[in-house]
Amino acid sequence: MKDCKRTTRNLVAFLYGELDEIGKKHVETHLETCQECKDELLRLEEISDVADSLKADMEKAFVSVDWENLPSRIADGVFDKKPTRERQPRRAGLWPFLFQPRYRLAYAGLLLGIIVGAVVTFLIFRSPPLQFAEDGKIIVPLGFYDMMELEMARRETIDFLDSSAYLLLDFVQSSPEKSAEFWQSDFVSQRAKDLLSKKKYIDPQLDKIKLAKAKVICDQIELLFFELMQISEELSAEELGKIQRLIEERQLLLKIKLVRKELQKNEV
Amino acid sequence: MQIQNTNQQSEINGLVERVKSGDREAFMTLTKLYQKKVFQLAYSYFHNKEDALDIVQETFLRFHQKAHMFEKGKNFQNWLLQIAKNICIDYYRKHHKKNNELRRDQNIEEMDHASYDSSHHDPSSDLKEVFSRCLEKLSDKQRMIFVMKHYNHLHYREIAQILNIALGTVKSLHFKAVRNLRTLMSPYIGRIG
Repeated sequence: MKDCKRTTRNLVAFLYGELDEIGKKHVETHLETCQECKDELLRLEEISDVADSLKADMEKAFVSVDWENLPSRIADGVFDKKPTRERQPRRAGLWPFLFQPRYRLAYAGLLLGIIVGAVVTFLIFRSPPLQFAEDGKIIVPLGFYDMMELEMARRETIDFLDSSAYLLLDFVQSSPEKSAEFWQSDFVSQRAKDLLSKKKYIDPQLDKIKLAKAKVICDQIELLFFELMQISEELSAEELGKIQRLIEERQLLLKIKLVRKELQKNEV
Repeated sequence: MQIQNTNQQSEINGLVERVKSGDREAFMTLTKLYQKKVFQLAYSYFHNKEDALDIVQETFLRFHQKAHMFEKGKNFQNWLLQIAKNICIDYYRKHHKKNNELRRDQNIEEMDHASYDSSHHDPSSDLKEVFSRCLEKLSDKQRMIFVMKHYNHLHYREIAQILNIALGTVKSLHFKAVRNLRTLMSPYIGRIG
């Protein structure tokens, strides 16, 4: 059985006369006793016979070629051909070095990487698309309302600080004698009332961390306005002048301006 | 015999040297000597005279371009057939692969029945056609080895040199080529079973 395997592997080489004397003898001896391998050899011979059938066509084609003139025709084609253009000497420099054809694959990879990176970055950082509920209403993402409230409070606070600063500036610049009347005038008292009611509206939002600094100064302004509206009538010109100087000494207007600037930077 | 071979070798080397320096006569002499060998290889690969002549022309053109690469001690015929082999494979891939794949998609049996219906039926030509198609189904290397051995009568040693592979590999690939042909041809040949 083992011998059959070895013989079968050598049968093609045997058929084509490629075995040395020892190999040839071995196959011949085996074939004398093994019918199976003999049949296999017959099958292979048959393939060889079929392959021979193509030889007749080859011979026909062989005869039909003009062998005498073929070499000169080929030589004409080879020697009468216009000389090929001489290769340009390679230019030295960084540009030709960087754009060598062998780097094409690397550049293609780099370009692909950039494109994939850009797409991934876009997918990660893009704002989420608007979602619609079944009834057609827009579903806003979680935390959207908090952000909106904070932003509105920031704007209201800036507005409050602006208006307060103008009012306080008017008060500080007015003469102490007239400052009592200043707070009692309809226009100013109405503005002060508006500002106090605005303060009540923004109070819940001022408790948020981002507006903590603004809350301190807004509270001071609220207290100041409240007191001035209540007691300015009873205060003497001297005492009102003292309050004016206190506002200037404590640099309340400057503080308002700084807090306002800070708030403007922190847009949500 | 050895002396004769050596003389022949040095003569060939001399002719190649002259070709390198642009000698047309030397080129023609070498073409005359080897054109039939190249034609035989190309014809047995393509079974088409025009293709084979194209290959012959292209092989000698390539030889002229690469003559400076020929190393003196080497066998010129094997070197030239190596060039021809490469051209055959490139040419086949460029011009024939698509057509043959389309043809191959047609069942071989369909082709047979169609031929049997014709009044000018020739069983031997059918078998030739079937065999030719079966040969095309072999891998490039198996096909080339079979062609070189069967039609060009080259020795395994020479085939190994031309294909630049080990002798044992040639023997093994030749065995596989014949065995595969036998399997592919088995429905069409009477005695095989």
